Amino acid sequence: MPLAETSILSPTVYATLPFWPLLGAVLVGLLVVARQKPERAHLPVVLGALISAALGVTLFFDLNRAHPSPTHGALETPLPLGEGLGDANTPLPSREGLGEGRNLQPLPNLPLEGGGVGTGHGEPTGHAGHAPGFTHTIYNWISFGDRSSLQRNQWIAVNFYFDGLTGVMLLYVTLVSLVIIIYSIGYMRDHHGHPERGYERFFACMGLFVFSMISLVMAGNFVLLYLGWELVGLCSYLLIGFYYQRPSAAAAAKKAFIVNRIGDFGFALGIFSLYWFLKDRVAAGENPLDYATVFKYIAAGAMTQGQLTLVSLLLLCGAVGKSAQFPLYVWLPDAMEGPTPVSALIHAATMVTAGIYMVARCTPIFGASPLALDVIVTIGVIGALLTATMAMAQYDMKRILAYSTISQLAFMFVALGCRAPDSGVFHVFTHAWFKALLFLGAGSVMHAMGGVIDVRQFSGLRHILPQTYKVMLIGCLALAGFPLLAGFWSKDEIVHAAFARHPVVGVLMLLTALLTAYYTFRMFFLCFHGKPRLPAEAGDHPHESPPVMTGPLWILAIGAVLTGYLGVTWHPGAASFLGVLAPHGFFHHYLHNSSIGTPPPLGEAPWLMYLSAAIALAGIGLAWLRYGTAPTDEPDRKLLGGLWNLWNAKYYVDEIYDRAFVRPLRGLGRLLWGTDNHGVDGLIWCVTAVPRGMALALHFVQRGALQAYALGMVLGLVVLLLLWGLA
Amino acid sequence: MPSALILLLVLGAVGLVLAMPGGRTDRGRLGLVALAAAGGVLVFTAVNLAAGERGLTLFIVCALVALFAAVRVITHRKPVYSALYFVLLVAAVAGLLIGMQAEFLAAALVIVYAGAILVTYVFVIMLAQQARPTLCDLKAREPFWGCLSGFALLTVLAGQFFLGTAAPLPAASPAEAAGTVEAVGTPLLTQYVVGLQLAGLLLLAAMVGAIAIARRRVTVEEELELEGEA
Amino acid sequence: MLVPYLLLGAALFSLGLIGFVTRRNLIIIFLCTEMMFQGIIVNLVALGRYPLDGRPTFDGQVFALFLIGVAAAEAAVALALVVLLYRHRGTLDANAWTALKDE
Repeated sequence: MPLAETSILSPTVYATLPFWPLLGAVLVGLLVVARQKPERAHLPVVLGALISAALGVTLFFDLNRAHPSPTHGALETPLPLGEGLGDANTPLPSREGLGEGRNLQPLPNLPLEGGGVGTGHGEPTGHAGHAPGFTHTIYNWISFGDRSSLQRNQWIAVNFYFDGLTGVMLLYVTLVSLVIIIYSIGYMRDHHGHPERGYERFFACMGLFVFSMISLVMAGNFVLLYLGWELVGLCSYLLIGFYYQRPSAAAAAKKAFIVNRIGDFGFALGIFSLYWFLKDRVAAGENPLDYATVFKYIAAGAMTQGQLTLVSLLLLCGAVGKSAQFPLYVWLPDAMEGPTPVSALIHAATMVTAGIYMVARCTPIFGASPLALDVIVTIGVIGALLTATMAMAQYDMKRILAYSTISQLAFMFVALGCRAPDSGVFHVFTHAWFKALLFLGAGSVMHAMGGVIDVRQFSGLRHILPQTYKVMLIGCLALAGFPLLAGFWSKDEIVHAAFARHPVVGVLMLLTALLTAYYTFRMFFLCFHGKPRLPAEAGDHPHESPPVMTGPLWILAIGAVLTGYLGVTWHPGAASFLGVLAPHGFFHHYLHNSSIGTPPPLGEAPWLMYLSAAIALAGIGLAWLRYGTAPTDEPDRKLLGGLWNLWNAKYYVDEIYDRAFVRPLRGLGRLLWGTDNHGVDGLIWCVTAVPRGMALALHFVQRGALQAYALGMVLGLVVLLLLWGLA
Repeated sequence: MPSALILLLVLGAVGLVLAMPGGRTDRGRLGLVALAAAGGVLVFTAVNLAAGERGLTLFIVCALVALFAAVRVITHRKPVYSALYFVLLVAAVAGLLIGMQAEFLAAALVIVYAGAILVTYVFVIMLAQQARPTLCDLKAREPFWGCLSGFALLTVLAGQFFLGTAAPLPAASPAEAAGTVEAVGTPLLTQYVVGLQLAGLLLLAAMVGAIAIARRRVTVEEELELEGEA
Repeated sequence: MLVPYLLLGAALFSLGLIGFVTRRNLIIIFLCTEMMFQGIIVNLVALGRYPLDGRPTFDGQVFALFLIGVAAAEAAVALALVVLLYRHRGTLDANAWTALKDE
């Protein structure tokens, strides 16, 4: 299905989208080669990101027009939302794909115990067998398949897949990345405006990072997805270890890379097994790892339940690693060693959202495996609670934000596991804006405080950093789920889906939301309220950041307020929030034109929205009561005692991993090294001992004395003549 | 093998070991006595071997002189004397060559060896003359093993003549064939003319090489200084 | 008459060899090689004069003449080397030049 004829730009132009930041990065490298001064090294990358962002926005609108579907224009005619329990079975608007007589496999009944709130109907998800995106192939890359069997004329192509999910992802990836890169221009300089050491390297890596993420999102098959996946991992390594002179930064970079390797191993196995299961079913001319092919054959029942579960769980490994979920989240807090814009980029626009994206993209696979969905929900719930409690007891501002990221990503996982991938992606989208805002705000604080980020070292900064204070307030409110801000709408939807799944899951989500609001504002109050207190590193006159930094902050702040409204709909009625706003708006309908398809609509439960609003307010209020004056004696510690210390020590997870995995593995490595060094090398030594012993026995002969050699020659001659004479 | 030859070899070996530099003087004397005895045995053997041959007397005299000179060359503690004994050796060998009617070659040998090469040797010895006899001249290097291997070689070579399976030796001496300049020069300039040219080339190369090797590296400053003195 | 000459040549050759192996003065060592040449010359001429087939030729003498030429060339180069070495170390001891052995 090509883009609509009325599309603004042709697919060929959109296919260049990932390469502009790459071009920028290469140009930065060339500038370095040409020995240009680093002052303007950001320009190529900023320009590349700018072009990408412009294309991303255009593509977003083009994709909206490309798939005129019954749900299009939902802003005017919202999807009929059930008015209660019974109405949840309202049939979905029929879709083109359903009428084509495909061999649809009805999915097994969904284990929806939480029928009291949720929809509860077992209708097969409408997307099955219908991948509404289209694939734009640039060229065929790897040819394979043998002539004697069915698998011939098969390729791994370099192709891009365009659908609603691509559009949404590209929209925020390109825009947020652009904003962060612009912010970095100011951040990566000292107070006199001189670039830091490695300024060019930083921007080159940023460009590469954005390129990697865009190609990951646009990839049209699993191999290309894997390529982008690994490129993102590489870039995170390069950027987390940006201050490689610092041992902790080098260690953090390695940790991120290695932990990601664990997940990526599973991911690769998942791709392999997907190919293994599908290779005999795929017809000639179809590329067996293209999304379109895979989804088509899965919908046609080409894989058994067990195979689907296996593939899902293996792919999930990759998502857990890349999206920093339990139990592979440990790399993300350490990733704070990189410069703050890198943290923002990793946490908001790239890297960690890749896992969510992948699971959402593979909804046809995951959705067919209830077991995999259960695992996803479990991982999400554990991760959300675990890291939220860890964030309660941290002092490092960036670390608190890192744990909140993991917690929010866990929210998204819960959404994915609760058959609400559109809600999950919606949260990814809103989260990108306010988490980037929070990180860049924290960076602004760090910039003013001379590199200090420990909230115990300073307080009362609202007079010194008035602009940062305002945008941070917006960001914290959005993260806390304050009503009417972006985070509220998306988080509420997830809580909603969680309740639909099971009330326990929903309650745990609400609890996590409460903790989120509380720790976010604990950090906020400790930083900006109370008596003004400054660390020595801040110098005499700490000042607000330059406009090149505050400008992006305000752009993100606007996003943190407004992006949520893309996902709600004007729906006057008693069941809507405040009587006028109902969830599931334009954003969701846009997303339904993708491999996500149309998940079963959420049941109507307006009381949940009021409840989550109340919980957010309660969390903020509680934080105000306990930390409103930025006390230095940590009231929570006195109140909670040992529990607080446990949280502060992050449940000793790092230590447990160290004992359980790192040390045994290191011991194994040492053992193998010893075997190689002594066992194998010893054998070789034994073999070499023979010539060495011979040399030892004869080396005295070679004394360098010419006449001794002559003597030897004479003796040899005598022996020879004797032999001749005797013969 | 005649027992006389064995006696000769053993005597010679023992005498030479004793006569080698490095031992006490009386031991050296003893060695010379043994060597003289060996010379006596040699005369006896030669007379037995070639009784009645023409030129035997000349051979015996020259051989004795040559062997004596050779022993002195390798046993004398002073290099200059070694060189002078070598001149004596060359003269004795020239006498032997005359005994074989190789008169031209004998003359050439004396002229080239005694006249040219040995003069060069003596010149270099004088150039490298040290105030006192140095250790390297006073002490031979493993004389026992050296003499043993040398005489073992000689024994094996001599044994070939008596025990070996070589072709039968000529029973009698052939007719006279005077080695005049004409007799030697004709094959040299006809049959072996390429070899002659190559020998000339070799000598040229050796001359150039010798100059290149032994030349003292003179810097520009030294040269200017020399010019200034001049 | 052949055998005495050959024996004498072998004796001269062996004596030269003994000198080559035992003497330590570089000049004497080269002198000993010249002595070995003398033994060879005697042999060559004797074999030319008393050939096994009974027909004397002058090839032996011609060959000896070549040998003298080679000996002259060798003496020139060898003595040049000796001078060079002596200039470097101030000694003619062959034991001073053992740098090619493995340490």
